Amino acid sequence: RLEICSFSGYKIYPSRGRTFIRGDSRTFHFLNSKTESLFRQAKNPRKIAWTVVFRKMHRKGISEEVAKKRTRRAVKYNRAIVGTSWEAINARRNEKTEVRSAARAEAVKKAKEQRKNEAAKRKAERAKNPTADQKYSKQQARGASTKVHATSR
Amino acid sequence: MKSRLNVIDNSGAIVAECIKVLKNAKWAEVGDEIVVSVKKARPISDKTSGSMSAAKIRKGDVRRALIVRTKKEVRRPDGRYVRFDDNACVLLNNQQQPLGSRILGLVSAELRFKNWVKVVSLAPRVV
Repeated sequence: RLEICSFSGYKIYPSRGRTFIRGDSRTFHFLNSKTESLFRQAKNPRKIAWTVVFRKMHRKGISEEVAKKRTRRAVKYNRAIVGTSWEAINARRNEKTEVRSAARAEAVKKAKEQRKNEAAKRKAERAKNPTADQKYSKQQARGASTKVHATSR
Repeated sequence: MKSRLNVIDNSGAIVAECIKVLKNAKWAEVGDEIVVSVKKARPISDKTSGSMSAAKIRKGDVRRALIVRTKKEVRRPDGRYVRFDDNACVLLNNQQQPLGSRILGLVSAELRFKNWVKVVSLAPRVV
């Protein structure tokens, strides 16, 4: 069985160390004669710098691990963007899928209708002005450049 | 002056001195039988004599005893060493039965290995 040293807090593997049972039936496990001797001198493990008890009390080693873990997390802030306000962003985010798809369907419908209207309009215009929509190339629009006649020989 | 042991049963004796080790060795360990002379005993009053067992332990009695705790460490099979804070024994009669009816305090687990079943069963705690 793996014990823990009552003085230093180190692990005691089987066949190591000693066990002392005091008159009041309290059991103490010692890793080696060093810890046993210190115990018998009635030293306080909280004042002996290499014991686990001391290190815990003075927060040695453990706090570094904890600090590392904490800094990894990025804090998320809810910020508004210049174009839209925070409420608008939130509203968009919290839109239900049905609402969104319904809105999309409507928009699609609208667009289609508009296109239809515009197409109808164009047709009507074409019927009125057959030339209005003729396509000219850029060169034609500019006009032919005048020939440069020689003025001197 | 020989080794003195605390008697931790309710037989009436308090301190016993070892006068003989009942095995072919120089010293006895936990779970060994010894012969003791009672050095200090609890005063026996006539009132309590009826409730107690027949054996009345007086100072100077020579009895047998079983060692249950030693200050000298004992080796366990797993390699550990166990040491108690004092030397203690339990008085026995010549048939190796404990004289007292109760045991106060710890006893060592070596007793179990050495087949002192009755004593182990009386003990409140075995370590």
